[in-house]
Amino acid sequence: MITLENVSKTYEGVSKIVALRNVSIEVKEGEFLVILGPSGAGKSTLMRCINRLVVPTGGRILLDGREVTSRRRELRAARRDIGMVFQQFNLVKRLSVLMNVLSGRLAYHTFWPSLLYRFDQDDKRIAIECLTRVNMEHKAFQRADTLSGGEQQRVAIARALAQEPKVILADEPVASLDPKIARQVLTYLKQIAGELGITVLCNLHQVEYAREYAERVVGLSQGTVVFDGPSGKLTDDILQQIYYRDPETADDRD
Amino acid sequence: MADPVQAAQEDVLAALIARKKWRFHHIAFMAVGIAFLAWAADGVDLSPKELADGIPKIAKYFALMIPPKWVFADTVWQPAIETVYIAIWGNVLATLIGLPLGVLAARNITRLAPLRFFAKGTLNLLRSISELIWAIFFVAAVGLGPFPGAVALGMNYAGILGRLYAEAMENIDPGPVEAIQATGAGRIQVILFAIFPQVLPQFVTYMLYWFEVGVRSATVLGMVGAGGIGFELVTTIRLFEFRETAVVLLIILAMVTIIDLASSMIRSRIY
Amino acid sequence: MTAIDGAVAAALQLESVRRRRRLVKALGWTSLALAVLWFTANEIGLNPIALAKGRVHMWDFLTRMFPPDLSYIQFLGRATVETVQIAVWGTLLAVVFSIPLSLLAARNTTPLIRIPWFNEHWERLGLHLLVFHTTRMFLNCLRGINELIFALIFVSAVGLGPFAGVLAIALHATGMLAKFCGEEIEGVDRGQVEAMQATGASKMQVILFAVIPQAIPAFISYSIFRFDVSIRSATVLGLVGAGGLGFSLIKTLKLFRYPETATCILVIFLLVWATDWVCSKWRAKII
Repeated sequence: MITLENVSKTYEGVSKIVALRNVSIEVKEGEFLVILGPSGAGKSTLMRCINRLVVPTGGRILLDGREVTSRRRELRAARRDIGMVFQQFNLVKRLSVLMNVLSGRLAYHTFWPSLLYRFDQDDKRIAIECLTRVNMEHKAFQRADTLSGGEQQRVAIARALAQEPKVILADEPVASLDPKIARQVLTYLKQIAGELGITVLCNLHQVEYAREYAERVVGLSQGTVVFDGPSGKLTDDILQQIYYRDPETADDRD
Repeated sequence: MADPVQAAQEDVLAALIARKKWRFHHIAFMAVGIAFLAWAADGVDLSPKELADGIPKIAKYFALMIPPKWVFADTVWQPAIETVYIAIWGNVLATLIGLPLGVLAARNITRLAPLRFFAKGTLNLLRSISELIWAIFFVAAVGLGPFPGAVALGMNYAGILGRLYAEAMENIDPGPVEAIQATGAGRIQVILFAIFPQVLPQFVTYMLYWFEVGVRSATVLGMVGAGGIGFELVTTIRLFEFRETAVVLLIILAMVTIIDLASSMIRSRIY
Repeated sequence: MTAIDGAVAAALQLESVRRRRRLVKALGWTSLALAVLWFTANEIGLNPIALAKGRVHMWDFLTRMFPPDLSYIQFLGRATVETVQIAVWGTLLAVVFSIPLSLLAARNTTPLIRIPWFNEHWERLGLHLLVFHTTRMFLNCLRGINELIFALIFVSAVGLGPFAGVLAIALHATGMLAKFCGEEIEGVDRGQVEAMQATGASKMQVILFAVIPQAIPAFISYSIFRFDVSIRSATVLGLVGAGGLGFSLIKTLKLFRYPETATCILVIFLLVWATDWVCSKWRAKII
């Protein structure tokens, strides 16, 4: 489904920062993969490399056997197949919930109908169905900034689902939520992805959640993969390795 | 019994005095500053004597305005309304010209550096040249009247608003932009769905505020023959018709006040 | 799944109703706006055709200005310096006037007028804020009248020259600056004020130690911005004989020496651009 081959990323700037070093991961269809690592390990960069919000400096990324490139038309098509959920939800606050979900349909249209913020009936049906899946249809006409954090993240999941994606990238989806809401959001994510057969890559920094939800865990530390295996095999030794820079964070199970 | 507040104040004061030790370069700095101001004052004939002479003259001038000659309002109200029309169209033109240029000048929208540079340069040119100079130019082109006034106001304000629009767009939250990009949306769709909704209230605020300012500017366009109440004002002042001048001034003030109130009412409702 | 289908259908229906309502509203507002624009366009004789026809004149005007007569710059040095001097003193006077006026124009620092035995009715009528309202009204008058109008009046009262220009800019800028700072003072953090009051400080002490320190950065920043605006205004004061570059501009224009006019415009552009650059750097350093 997704193949990462020797992906590297170096941020050029005042000082060079190596975010990713030769990362190779193979993700199978329908998998729920958790990428685990302390903050600053390069998890976000890795995700953004997949849909090219960040352009990697080395290696290649294959989606369904086709390389994701920077050519605009191909990139739009690839991004349409990859939904994304963010830590800060990133909803457009002044638009209604429904409009936010509908914006997940943008890649299916040229910009002419978008000029008047118009969508066709099918788009609306899909959007409302997605909202129903996260049980947010009753708030469809409210403005996004009237919702609580957990609700906003559910709407963000609905937006990603509205793309009818093959893959969802969830970048620290629960880092800004309290534990109870966090579990709820992760449950939605896992359950819906399972029902629809969507592959999910989820960044987390809490081991607790990784053990609970992941089928497979990739441990990332300082831009390199240090563990790749089922969540059951996450031993304290391995955690020590993932979080080795400052071992206390390993105890930080929220 | 020492008052704690006073004690604290004394401490602060003592610390301030200790820190503010006068050094040579402080004194030199002050001297240069004072010399500069004195030189500037000399250049603009600003002196106590001049003030003592001038201020009574100005007071006398205003005293001669009383009582205002109210009948004159009959001749002035129409140009006053014309002034508002000029401001309306000036601002509409300003947004029509300024918004596209602002989009081109915004760093996070236009990637092409030469294009951005060109847009910024154009905005600077439009902004630097006052609406009165533009008005002289357009009056020469299409003749006297409010029409060249509106175009002139539009040109100057396009530069001002365009830059404000560009800055507003540069300062938005980049998160939603990233999110909409990640859905595979195109450039223009990202602008429409992630950037415009975020900056819209700010745009409306700017438009309303610069409409208020525009009305005030439009009151002087008549001085160069570009329509509005300015023509009546200049005429009465040149002819030393003090009591008529008073009427014109009062009408300008009334107009500006009403528009300020209306616009602040609208502004408080948009968020 | 029928429950979900039902919910979706219901939401879709609601959406179409809302969209229709929004469409009607949007159409209403758009047609109102278009009607206003149409009407005003007619009133002021706005038509693109006249502008298109005027392009011959504009082109004529422009070609006669080119090439700019750069040798004229040597006569503009004095006027440029004068423009800057007018702006410096105009702004400085405005800053000096604004300090007391902005304190009077803020509800939380203005002196309250109280009459002991009549207080309740008095406050209901808002009369205890008499000083505040009077100051605000005065400032609104200063703000509402363009500096060129002031310049015209002063020129006719004290004669031609930059002195009238300085006063004109000072008055208009005072109105702007003091109102802005009054609002800034009203918006200061209440917590710091309360903390100072809790220490038993007098009203004057509270103003000095809790209110003013909070308002000062905005005041300085806005004063610098005002200087920038004053330079731009000072370039046109000459049109009414109040000194500066505008006087050279109008003089060369009246004498039909267009290449020299072009030089004036060029110098104005450079001056305004340079001031803008300096002021934005300066403000960035202060904030």
